[in-house]
Amino acid sequence: MFATKFGLQSDDYKICVVMVGLPARGKSLIAGKAMRYLAWVGIPAKVFNVGSYRRNATPQPAATFFDPHNAEGERMRRAAVEAAMSDMLQWFNDGKGVVAILDATNSTKQRRQWIYESCREADIETLFVESICDDEELIMTNILEVKTTSPDYKGQDPELAALDFRNRIRNYELVYQTIDDDEKDYTYVKLINVGSTVIINQIKDYLSSRLVYYIQNLHIKPRSIWLSRHGESEFNLTGKIGGDSNISERGEAYARKLPELLRKSGVPPNTKIVIWTSTLRRTIQTARHLKAETGFEKLEWKALDELDSGVCDGLTYEEIAEKYPEDFAARDEDKYNYRYRGGESYRDVVIRLEPIIMELERSENVIIVTHQAVLRCIYSYFMNVPQEKSPWMEVPLHTLLKLTPRAYGTEEQRFKADIPAVSTWRGKGSSAKHQEFPAEGAECPPTAH
Amino acid sequence: MDTLLTAEIVANSPQFRRKSSIFVDAIHDLPEKADLAPAQLHMSVALARYLRWLGVKTRIFHLGDYRRATIPFGEDMPDDYFFVNASASSVLLRQKIVRKCREDIYRFLSHENGQIAIYDAVNPLASGRRSLAKEFAKHDIETLFIESWCDDERIIEENVRRVKISSPDYVSWSPEDAVKHYLTRISSRIPQFQTMEEKDLNYIKMINAGERLIVNNCSFGYLSNRIVFYLLNLHIKSRRTYFVRAGVSKDAASYKSDSGLSEQGDDYARKMTESLLAHREVEKQDMIARGDASYELRPLKVWTSTRRRTVETAKYLYDKGYKVRQRSQMSQLNPGVCEKMSERRIRAEWPDEVAKHELDPYHHRYPRAESYHDLAVRLEPVILELEREQNDLLIIAHESVLRVLYGYLMACNAADIPFLEFPRDEIIEIIPESYQNEARRIHIPDLPEEIIPASPEDLKIPVPPSGFVSPIQGLGSPMDGAATPQSGFRTPSGLRTPREPERISQQHVEDVV
Repeated sequence: MFATKFGLQSDDYKICVVMVGLPARGKSLIAGKAMRYLAWVGIPAKVFNVGSYRRNATPQPAATFFDPHNAEGERMRRAAVEAAMSDMLQWFNDGKGVVAILDATNSTKQRRQWIYESCREADIETLFVESICDDEELIMTNILEVKTTSPDYKGQDPELAALDFRNRIRNYELVYQTIDDDEKDYTYVKLINVGSTVIINQIKDYLSSRLVYYIQNLHIKPRSIWLSRHGESEFNLTGKIGGDSNISERGEAYARKLPELLRKSGVPPNTKIVIWTSTLRRTIQTARHLKAETGFEKLEWKALDELDSGVCDGLTYEEIAEKYPEDFAARDEDKYNYRYRGGESYRDVVIRLEPIIMELERSENVIIVTHQAVLRCIYSYFMNVPQEKSPWMEVPLHTLLKLTPRAYGTEEQRFKADIPAVSTWRGKGSSAKHQEFPAEGAECPPTAH
Repeated sequence: MDTLLTAEIVANSPQFRRKSSIFVDAIHDLPEKADLAPAQLHMSVALARYLRWLGVKTRIFHLGDYRRATIPFGEDMPDDYFFVNASASSVLLRQKIVRKCREDIYRFLSHENGQIAIYDAVNPLASGRRSLAKEFAKHDIETLFIESWCDDERIIEENVRRVKISSPDYVSWSPEDAVKHYLTRISSRIPQFQTMEEKDLNYIKMINAGERLIVNNCSFGYLSNRIVFYLLNLHIKSRRTYFVRAGVSKDAASYKSDSGLSEQGDDYARKMTESLLAHREVEKQDMIARGDASYELRPLKVWTSTRRRTVETAKYLYDKGYKVRQRSQMSQLNPGVCEKMSERRIRAEWPDEVAKHELDPYHHRYPRAESYHDLAVRLEPVILELEREQNDLLIIAHESVLRVLYGYLMACNAADIPFLEFPRDEIIEIIPESYQNEARRIHIPDLPEEIIPASPEDLKIPVPPSGFVSPIQGLGSPMDGAATPQSGFRTPSGLRTPREPERISQQHVEDVV
């Protein structure tokens, strides 16, 4: 009757998030993560990277291009930001956009005022996000890791590239103006040295406060997140979904092997890992030996419980197809939005997992032992899997996934325990039969990135 | 979104239990604390309410209360008591009061399983704040300072006005004169205050009632981000929140079937809509009659859960053009294995669980069910949006959801929340004010008797015998401090005295010596 388009409130407003900061201050990282987060919760978001517009005209400019006295350079950079703005306004105009992220240095008050006013004319709220960093070491790491792999320096000597890049930064420093009291009427957030001090100004709407909260929780310490489903359960053996059954003998074998599998995946010495499970028996049993052997701290989360399949809880897919044929077909049609009668949809699960994502961003090393649907949702957040694909992703039993966030994207590794288990994966429109686990050495299914 | 993940962490992990934290809210024990800084006081009280509701054991220690308890009534305070360069005797007196207060804080955190103590005092000097943090660190307590700073005359005046108008001190005064008199009085007595700039301390500085927040987060990522998020959304606006139950459904006893409204349910939805809109119209006419000729109601928004019954109950409002939003977080408490079971059957099949449940009905979770605490954690994002919302809001939800939301807004004792009752023939209207929210009830006439009482689809969980508990009767909420919000016990029903309208104070006397 009343369709809700977005899982979360976006009301009628549109927001342009304007990044501000010198090069190598992590702006693109924040922009990329914020976009992924918004897309994951169902709010249409897009990054407009001014650098890539500028690259069309000048693919590999030297530092002198960014000299404020270089009129030609100035003109071309101005053209790039205007092109990005005009595409952004067009995107909003087309009616699909809710949050646009303008990723550029936006280093002068004049430039910011121009953006602010252009947005205001189009009825778009602005949220400036400034990243300030005076920790030399942090900047150097950023320069070396990120920028020498940037398309601007592709194929160039990394040493020379870093030198040129530092000169480019100096040119920006000449004209850089931080956000100050002249701009006190703007909505802005200022992050100083990766969040050691944060200034938040004039936040007026809920979505902006959420974004600020999210950005505040980000950190850049190196870490990994491990994901595993529970060991094979008694319900898995009989093909039933849901329930709160115990793990099978083979599931128990996986639980015993988990500590070794984790070690094999590569854990830096003296690393503390926190174990998260759901409140259901099969995940707690799966993490039991890991907890006992490592002594790691363990938390049980209600929010990590499996997708609630409502009336279908405890049935096999065949029984569901027989008892609720229409529902079975409807679920295949739009699995992300299909809500089990009296239960949940994938969209509902994403909403309930959002606090978990916040907590994960804030945490360092975590191993999560959870359930198929929940794992798909968490995985989709980190790997940017689109909504229509995530519910169909194959995540086999008895496999440990290791995700390591890098500057551009997340690196994924899979480790198989080589303990047989049934496959609970069912292809779209396929027969509802469970199959034995593919033989050892079988290929992992392709995953979307 | 918000989460009170922190609360789950606290509840889950013994390690965190010792990681107690202190928030010191600056600018408090100024001469007339409660009068001077209503916004600030509101902040510490609201924060305490929020943390408690999330299940974090929190207590406020107002230094001013210790001062009043130490200096006998009728006896004058030394004139220089609040001054930085006070005489030796005043300094000694001050130290004695502060020591007593801090001893209580240590006891609360170390011996009473307290998790967060809110130490509400002025702490005007940087040097004093540094030594305070050091002192607390010796006791293994982390310190987070929260400063509320205001230099916007408009906001100060507005705050003073809001409180002063109702103060007995100024009964016969005109509001303008009262505000003016009051401001001169305090400005002559405000001690020297250094705003927080200490980069080595953890602090949150809230400027001009939330216009700007500065977070200096040396090592305190754990709770402070959450608190910032909460403060960002906190605002004082006298908008209305209405609560109503969903109409009766075709298969009310089943949780899983998620059935739609029955004919009676549809009739209820229509009558509820009529009563609500009529009530709002009367309020509007009242305001106009009182001289505010251009008074306009705030726009009304409707939130329902995604359960069919609640969505269909909003039908008539939707048809009239009101905005309706569905929120999956607002689904009722999941009854788990207890679905469709009678109390007798639950007792027979799950005797151990029933025993546990009776000990702690708020936190206990039946197999595969949710506890009220689980529900609170799930609803936390809704609470934050509720604080942020500027329009009037109607929430249509199952009784279990109304209990938790009402419990938050009216600062109910957590142990009382599972027992709050919302008869179907009443619309609850909540009006926020700086210290206490007020709840009123609007009758929906002409409903058949049988649909009024508690939800048949409610968890039939055995309730320890007690008197009739209805939200009308003071609601088991701390009223003049009769209740202890963080104890595991229900408010003794003898303490509930009927009052109309409900005004539930958020200042708990138990917080005071």
